[in-house]
Amino acid sequence: MKNLIMRGKRYSLVALLVILMMAFATGCGGGSTDGDTQGATESIVRVTAANVPNIDPGVGSDYSSSIALLNIYDSLVFPDDDGTIKPWLATEWETSDDGLVWTFHLRDDVKFHSGNQLTADDVVFSMKRMLTMGEGYAYLFTEVVEDVAALDDYTVQFKLSKKFGPFLSTLARLYVLDSETVMANLADGPYGDMGDYGKAWLVNNDAGSGPYTVKEMKIQEHLIGEKFDDFWGGWQEGAPEAFQIVGTTEPATVRTLLTRKQLEISDQWQTEEAIRALAEIPGVDIATFFTNSMLNISLNTKKAPTDDIHFRKALAYMFDYQAVEEDIFPGSKKAVGPIQFNLPGFDPNLYEYKTNLDKAREELAKSKYADQLDQYPIDLAWIAEVPDEEKIAMLFQANAAELGIKVNVTKTPWLSFTEQVGTPETTPHASVVFVNPHYNEAGSMLETRYHSRSTGTWEQCEWLQDPEIDAMIEDAIATLDFEERLAKYSLIQEKIIELAPTIWVFDQAEKRAYQDYIHWPSAELSKAGKNVNPVMGYPFYFAEFKVLTDN
Amino acid sequence: MNLRNYLLKRLLLSVFVLVGLSIVIFVIARIVPGDVARMALGPSAPQFAIEALEKEMHLDKPIPTQYYYWVKGVATGDLGQSLTTKRAVAEDIKEFLPATLELVMISAIIMIIFSILFGSLAAKYRDSWIDTLIRVMAYSGVAVPSFVLAVLLLLIFGYIWPVIPVLGRLSPGIMAPPTITGLITIDSLFTGNFTAFWDALKHLILPAIALSVGPMFQEARLIRSAMTDNMSKDYVAAVTGYGVPNRVIMHKYLLKPSLIPAVSVMGLDLASLMGNAFLVEVIFNWPGISRYGMNAMLQKDLNAISAVIIVFGLIFVIVNIIVDLIVAYLDPRIRLGGKT
Repeated sequence: MKNLIMRGKRYSLVALLVILMMAFATGCGGGSTDGDTQGATESIVRVTAANVPNIDPGVGSDYSSSIALLNIYDSLVFPDDDGTIKPWLATEWETSDDGLVWTFHLRDDVKFHSGNQLTADDVVFSMKRMLTMGEGYAYLFTEVVEDVAALDDYTVQFKLSKKFGPFLSTLARLYVLDSETVMANLADGPYGDMGDYGKAWLVNNDAGSGPYTVKEMKIQEHLIGEKFDDFWGGWQEGAPEAFQIVGTTEPATVRTLLTRKQLEISDQWQTEEAIRALAEIPGVDIATFFTNSMLNISLNTKKAPTDDIHFRKALAYMFDYQAVEEDIFPGSKKAVGPIQFNLPGFDPNLYEYKTNLDKAREELAKSKYADQLDQYPIDLAWIAEVPDEEKIAMLFQANAAELGIKVNVTKTPWLSFTEQVGTPETTPHASVVFVNPHYNEAGSMLETRYHSRSTGTWEQCEWLQDPEIDAMIEDAIATLDFEERLAKYSLIQEKIIELAPTIWVFDQAEKRAYQDYIHWPSAELSKAGKNVNPVMGYPFYFAEFKVLTDN
Repeated sequence: MNLRNYLLKRLLLSVFVLVGLSIVIFVIARIVPGDVARMALGPSAPQFAIEALEKEMHLDKPIPTQYYYWVKGVATGDLGQSLTTKRAVAEDIKEFLPATLELVMISAIIMIIFSILFGSLAAKYRDSWIDTLIRVMAYSGVAVPSFVLAVLLLLIFGYIWPVIPVLGRLSPGIMAPPTITGLITIDSLFTGNFTAFWDALKHLILPAIALSVGPMFQEARLIRSAMTDNMSKDYVAAVTGYGVPNRVIMHKYLLKPSLIPAVSVMGLDLASLMGNAFLVEVIFNWPGISRYGMNAMLQKDLNAISAVIIVFGLIFVIVNIIVDLIVAYLDPRIRLGGKT
């Protein structure tokens, strides 16, 4: 018995020791970084994102990379909230009469983070690097820019291979690198004399002149940028000393961080339910604004029965847009046509398909498949990685059933989907896809969504292939005069809307939870019902933020 | 067969296993849908860039030729470039593997200590309230997946009772020790940086608990079962009759043989902790290789997928050899070449 008691005591002792060790571990270290007060008075803006960014301007182009790049680097021009382009590194510019030569005059007071002076040679280097590597945002320039040269220290000239009206808009994505710093960090690589063009070094380091410089870049963890005191644009009082992009969208993690005030802005991938829960946290508001994301149901115009224009129109009229706007994606805005409402070139006066079952039946009756609907079921694919799309697919299926159309819904992984849409035969009749423009103008959407060149990619599951529309798009984007260009965009939209190749469902409202101790200009604009900079990443220009420490 | 021959045979067999594994993974990764170069460079990437990348990765050649180039690279320590991180895969592995190893190591320590503790306590006090309590805990522990437990722990310790860090490997402001092994706890001890040590240890607690609870209770049940079986064996009755103290009977005659079935399972569990770590790493924003591997699969990052699978395979093989050696030590019949 005594032995038993002794043994029992020993086991208890071991258990107690382990518990004590754990308690010690949790208690030690002062807890200065663990408590729930951290963050409120720190001058930092932290935001979660789907991934940690690629900070090489020749490589990164996704959402988080775009946020990082615009804060670390400068471009010649800067997109404004109203969709216009304002001077940035370039103070002014002129274009030749034929629109093929663009000359930019640069500021002479810009210093890189290294202390080097920014000159026209750096712009030339950055463009040539991009054209050679062909990655990231290079696709905006490779078909357009023929040559680039420095005329003097502060004048740079681009020669284009063809007329391209929105060239200025695309230049907002040419981030200028410190050529001297990059050249000092070349490694072996496939680019001849340029080795790897500094790619290996630029994974973790920066060569920019923007308001922030890279303090710590940890792949899979975070990017921390800290204020660059010599930023040419100067600093306003209260601007964040640092920013951090954390690579997680895990709802429990985001909620925990917001509650502990260790996160200022959530990512946009939180579900509606999660956003509602985040709004309950004291001191947390929700910012709702429109970037350029739009949800479409693309209809395959080369496969029966969606090859029939009346059948497609019937689908466009039968869809319940109101249910989407009010229940599935509250806060979103019904789309009028192929162009997002906040994109230069959008025309609000165009014909709009609205839910109208009578019209849907009327159109269906005109269709050549009207009497044989049972022989033509529709395959509809939604992307497995975007669970909310399933609700759209189910709604479409239910709406179609009212017209007697059978819809087979398929959840398709993204990788399979991108393969599937490679030919008209394998492309589903209907595909639920989010789309975005590549630059801030309607021409981008029209070219990547409806020009024959874009067929075979996920961006055009319609297989429109209309030579007349192709020619109109090419003509419009070659037009230099802004207003004239917009007028041409309207005509193209009108023609596309008449063909009904797509059900334009809604412009997506991006929702993010944020702390009320920061002043976030885009959130304020959105609260006031004004336009928020729709170019991906630009609502996160941290130099314009303020951390309200007295909050 | 002596231990040396046994080891050599096992190592030889392991090489065949790893080569086979590499071939299977290499082929599967290449035939699943998705245009690798297009995925890596984006839908609008110019054709010349796509072709250049395909050429660089030998994707324009037949799969056997691609495999030849891959093996040639591996032989020289070059695992290729990662398409997602844009770095050498070897560099990625070097950075992310220690984070997972450290997490798995701490999980294993928790798993081993507590499985033996709970298992022997349950056996010793079988059919008492202690046994019942441990059984209930075991059922709950095994039934709750590690990622659910991770979320629960995160919400409890991050949201309700914020006394312990919930994200990453170190708190902001804590200087990481110079890299020696890559395991922050070990490196900080080597360099005498106790602040970093405690901070790293605190960061490890929640993910390690989330990861270890399931296998820990599974093994505790195995140990309990083996111990109660062995308690009724004649040799235990004999040594009890000789007046050997209970403590000695428990530790020397009961615990050692009762650990044999659990140790084999522990080996498997240890290896599978690496794979199970994925969701736990996501939830606790832990920059480990499991998360890296899963992202590589989602992005069809071919070189990263092959490398991660081979590393996991290698770890699995090593752990199994170690487990066999431990079992041989615990069971003299195996050690001496007898039948089990």
